[in-house]
Amino acid sequence: MKSNSKVSTMRRRFLAMLAVISGGLLVRKTLPADTTDKPREMPLHEADYYGPHNLKG
Amino acid sequence: MGDVTCELCPRYCTIPEGGAGDCRVRVNIDGKLIATTYGRPSSAHIDPVEKKPLNHFQPGTAVFSIATAGCNLHCRNCQNWQLSQRGGEEMERIYRAEPEAVVDAALKENCHSIAYTYSDPIIFYEYVYDTSVLAHENGLKNIFVTAGYINEKPMRRLCKVIDAANIDLKAFDDGFYRRNCSGSLKPVLDAMVIAREEDAWLEVTNLVIPTLNDDMAIVRKMAHWIRDNLGEETPLHISRFTPHYQMRNLPPTPLETLERVWNEAKDAGLKYVYLGNIFGHESESTYCPNDSTRLIHRVGFSVEEYNLTRDGRCPVCRQEVSGVWL
Repeated sequence: MKSNSKVSTMRRRFLAMLAVISGGLLVRKTLPADTTDKPREMPLHEADYYGPHNLKG
Repeated sequence: MGDVTCELCPRYCTIPEGGAGDCRVRVNIDGKLIATTYGRPSSAHIDPVEKKPLNHFQPGTAVFSIATAGCNLHCRNCQNWQLSQRGGEEMERIYRAEPEAVVDAALKENCHSIAYTYSDPIIFYEYVYDTSVLAHENGLKNIFVTAGYINEKPMRRLCKVIDAANIDLKAFDDGFYRRNCSGSLKPVLDAMVIAREEDAWLEVTNLVIPTLNDDMAIVRKMAHWIRDNLGEETPLHISRFTPHYQMRNLPPTPLETLERVWNEAKDAGLKYVYLGNIFGHESESTYCPNDSTRLIHRVGFSVEEYNLTRDGRCPVCRQEVSGVWL
């Protein structure tokens, strides 16, 4: 009984770890390929000059 | 290689190789000081000149306004902190805009001037300077909207290529600058005097924050200093505080406080005192200092009525009104 319980705990831990890893992989796959922390660069003429903004000054 | 010292502002940041100054955007690369946001603004908008605010400089005209990330002050109440308290790499977007592209865009959109604004343009000084030179060559004016925390030499050089400045005098109190902005008062006062000496059109803004800089004794000192050092013709914009950034614990400035500040400034002898961030208040308009005729009727940032003569005088009493008129 004692050894069965130990196997069960290990199995639970293994499954939990598997869930975390697959979840992470799923999120990465869902995000667009170009999602990074870098700012998006664009030419000036693509700016919305007349769009509303909340900047003072 | 080694450290470099940035001499642009009173911080005199000594920057190790690979490091950045306090403003986050001026860096030491291979022993050279590089302004990383040169030609890379993160904001580009067309605003009325009244929004800068400038009430005596080409009223009712459109201004092509740009800003990059970064700032050399760190005000707890910063209204544009998403832009000013970040480095360029932290912005959502960056425009590729060399000076030629900025001038071309301003001309194409029929703007009268280019404003360097929103964050503090001091930190993208070289970009401001080069764009301003090109703007002049193409018949555009230049507007510098700043907190004025800059050293004398670069300020004098810049004044040769800018036409108007609005300098934000945050409080006539050095302690306020140290506690709330990580700066100091003296360089700001010096910058204003330099702008006046170098003949750039100057207007001053003072944001009134409840309990922090609304002491009428300090307001009186400020108004007297402006009168004595910049002249009684210098427009003063008294602006209403609204909670922002790290100063959300204070309420918006009550209208009564703003009106008391307005009265103090007028009593000190300043001829043109305006209330800002109070939509529709009569103090948004320009009145003749001699006979109180309403010369420019404003509602918010919009000019509803323009009664100045072509040579910038009151149409009733012929009093000259200081400014750069159309």
